[in-house]
Amino acid sequence: MSFLAPLMLIGAAGLAIPLVIHLIGRRRARVVKFAALSFLIASRRRTSRRLQLRERALLIVRMLACIALPLAIAKPFTSCASRGPVVEGGPQAAVFVVDDSFTSGYRVGGRTLLERTTEQATRILQQLGPEAEVAVVRASEASPSPTELSREHLRVRDALLDLQPTARPADLRRALGRAAQLLAGSSHERRTVYLISPLTATALPPGEPPWADGGPGLEVIDVRGGSALPNLAVTELTVTPDPTAGNRGIAVTAQLANYSTVAVTGVMISLEVAGTTVARGQIDLAAGERKAKRFLATLPPELRSAAVAVAIPADALPIDDRRVAVARLRDELRALLVDGDPRADRHDDELFYLEAALRPGDRAEAGTVVTKILPADLDGVDLGQFDVVVLANVPALSAPRVAALSTWVRAGGGLLITSGDHVDPVAYDATMLPLLPRSLRDPIDTAWGAAPNERAARALHLTKWEADHPIFAPFAEDAPGLADARFAKAVLLGPITDSDESKVLARFTNGAAALVLARAGDGQVLLYTSTIDRDWNDLPLLPGFLPLFQESVRFLARRRAETATGTLLVGQSQVLPTLSLKKLEVRGPDGRGAVFEGARLDNRQVVRFTAAESPGIYRVIGTDGTGATADRDELAFAVNVDPRGSDLAPAPPSVLPVSGVAASAFGRPHTRRVELWHAIASALLVLLLIESILIQRRR
Amino acid sequence: MKLDPELLARLGSLPVKARVIVESALSGQHRARLHGSSVEFAEHKEYTYGDEIRHIDWKALGKLDRYYVKQYEQESQLTAYLVLDASGSMRFGERGLRKVEYAALALASLAYLVSQQQDKVGLLVVGPRGGDLHVPPRAKGTHLADLLSVLDQAIADDDPGDASPAHAIDRVGELARRRRALVVLASDLFDPDDLTLGALRRLRAQHHDVVVLHVLAPEELTLPYEGLTMFEGLEGDHKLLANPSAIRAEYIAKMTGFLDRVRTELGKAGVDYHLTPTDRPLDETLQAVIASRRSGRDRR
Repeated sequence: MSFLAPLMLIGAAGLAIPLVIHLIGRRRARVVKFAALSFLIASRRRTSRRLQLRERALLIVRMLACIALPLAIAKPFTSCASRGPVVEGGPQAAVFVVDDSFTSGYRVGGRTLLERTTEQATRILQQLGPEAEVAVVRASEASPSPTELSREHLRVRDALLDLQPTARPADLRRALGRAAQLLAGSSHERRTVYLISPLTATALPPGEPPWADGGPGLEVIDVRGGSALPNLAVTELTVTPDPTAGNRGIAVTAQLANYSTVAVTGVMISLEVAGTTVARGQIDLAAGERKAKRFLATLPPELRSAAVAVAIPADALPIDDRRVAVARLRDELRALLVDGDPRADRHDDELFYLEAALRPGDRAEAGTVVTKILPADLDGVDLGQFDVVVLANVPALSAPRVAALSTWVRAGGGLLITSGDHVDPVAYDATMLPLLPRSLRDPIDTAWGAAPNERAARALHLTKWEADHPIFAPFAEDAPGLADARFAKAVLLGPITDSDESKVLARFTNGAAALVLARAGDGQVLLYTSTIDRDWNDLPLLPGFLPLFQESVRFLARRRAETATGTLLVGQSQVLPTLSLKKLEVRGPDGRGAVFEGARLDNRQVVRFTAAESPGIYRVIGTDGTGATADRDELAFAVNVDPRGSDLAPAPPSVLPVSGVAASAFGRPHTRRVELWHAIASALLVLLLIESILIQRRR
Repeated sequence: MKLDPELLARLGSLPVKARVIVESALSGQHRARLHGSSVEFAEHKEYTYGDEIRHIDWKALGKLDRYYVKQYEQESQLTAYLVLDASGSMRFGERGLRKVEYAALALASLAYLVSQQQDKVGLLVVGPRGGDLHVPPRAKGTHLADLLSVLDQAIADDDPGDASPAHAIDRVGELARRRRALVVLASDLFDPDDLTLGALRRLRAQHHDVVVLHVLAPEELTLPYEGLTMFEGLEGDHKLLANPSAIRAEYIAKMTGFLDRVRTELGKAGVDYHLTPTDRPLDETLQAVIASRRSGRDRR
């Protein structure tokens, strides 16, 4: 310990004062000759020890107070090793670059990193002294920056203390550049940037340094305090309609990331749909691993869209432990059935059984809109209005029709081709090869030449189907509803065509292909080598028919339904159609938002919402010309935090500017002077208080 | 008229003070005597209306089936022994009279009164280091002056001892032999082993009339001191540094307990007990003693 004014220690001789006062006080005690001393002694026996202790305590307190006064005036200080910044008072310019990104909401020991940041910044601000010109630059992405330095330290301090973690990631490079610009305009020779941040690598991506040699000095305060900051996060969320899960089905895929150096096991992950937890699961993640978790769910019956959230238990950084999306059911599956063998008797019609399977009981909620046409009507049809086209026993189409269909398939359409007596393999191979997974050959007829009692025995059966394929998902392993079907006739297939890839999903017992799937561009073609009615087989009479062709049509339609839900990050803008509304209000999860009306809305097709500063679901409320106000669920959108901010791995020192003191400032150890007189003066006040209490109790 | 002890202290010699006290105490009273209870049986008288019921001789009623009333005759001459505790503790007193002075004045006034009745009065002074002072009981006119001069000497003694009055009381029992006597003890009874109380009980057992003037200074009753105080004992070298306010309540409780115990024990033994703070007017004290003697006689 050293002293700034050691001469003041002479005053420590005052230590003798209380001792003298104490001794004099004992002598100055009033003397009374007392007869009933025995009574006094008996009474005092219990209190004398306390009185003696009190007297001694008073003496000690007074002596300590007498030595504390000169000690405090002598201004003692000590030195200790420190890794913090070197701060000197006096005229200078300084800019605090403080990290207020959502990463700064990370809690360590019950305090957020931002609280540590503001504490460090206010301490340095105090040490800089009133002559320093200062400014605060927030490091969260796109946050506003000050335009000049200021000597209003109180205002700067209040601004620091008012900081809250934003929902944006940090952009330290931009903030450092802005700090350098501010300091460039200062006339002070000493110009310093105090960078106070957890210094994550994602906040300081490699790139051009914010200033070249000759720039301001840089003092770096790493508020992570040398500790690792492990974090689990939900980094992506994709919601798509999934017809395989029913007409209200959705597939939710969430990606989880373990940003730490240790593996985690049994992480609970839950799926919420419309505010209700509908599924839970567990997931193990190795160190640094990312893993996807897929959920299938259905939306509640009354909703066409709903908020979907995937969450893991809150950790030190809870903002990225939950991710939201808006799930929307696409419109009903639209199927165009081309009837190649229409009959007056419905039961003999080629499409009777398929139509019944796609709209069982002709129920509106079947989720499928069926349109029947004849092959000749194909020219007048807008294929873009349909998800699936079924060519049922259709004679070979003309080349232009095939071209139109092929274009539609490659754009994502689903095509089901079934065989029959009108399917001429030669004609098909001539014009329809662009649509076929395989070329066609003449059909095999097992009943040909057989006696009626032998036909059943010679019939073919389905076998070797791809049980893992979604089309066969509803069936058990032996699937009697399929396996029992008898096929008398089926078209044989030739070599592979020029489709992108094809796969036999089911075969007959003679090895011939029964179902062949081929991908063509973004679309798919499914070829069924037998009839869709009872002409060549009795499958339509068995329980396996309905699920097989329902799943087939849904599967073919999925490619068109898989339109990924757009992901909006905090700070990004959302374009909203005005829908001829008179007023359009966007309300965020925190209640804040924007209102578009009047000049902001009139004569516009779209408006742009740019105030998405909080993660969550943003409702859109519209008022139409009649004044009716309602939630426009179709416009609601979800906003999530940028997953870049979830990775708290530290940045290497090499990414910092090399001018000034930056090269050694990254945790640079130095000696720091700690003044002790404040503590001693405080102790002196406490001693005086104790002395007053002791005297009061002595009276 | 009340005689303030502080005013009395400024009066002249002890005989003068004694006379003033007695005259003040007896002013306005037709006849006042200091009685002992040592009255003797004289004769029987047949009961008539107006006689005291309590004087009926019940044994005679049993034998003779007639009501007779006992008649008594006061002893021809009262012998009073005055015992003054002049030990060190009696030298205490901060305002007005010290305890020994107050006790001496009280006994002097009693001696004056007794001698006025032509009765015998003797004195024992306990406490002087040179030994107890003894003035045998006499009824002569010059005897009172001798007795008061011994009291003066006891007051003036600056080197008191710490003797207990117990042995002096026992000695009175021996001196009085079988003759009943009135024994008046003036003391603070600060006796470590209650020897004095035992001696008083023995004296009562010998049928002597015993009066105790329990002389205490007001400071001993209330401990009125404030601030850090060094208490020094008057007997022995004990010293005590204390904060009186911290121990006052407990001291008063102990003192009250002591007074209650003394009063109870002496009351049981039939001793006429008077708590006499030194700020109490002496004529009041004298009146109280005379009144209690009179009422005691009437009860017999």
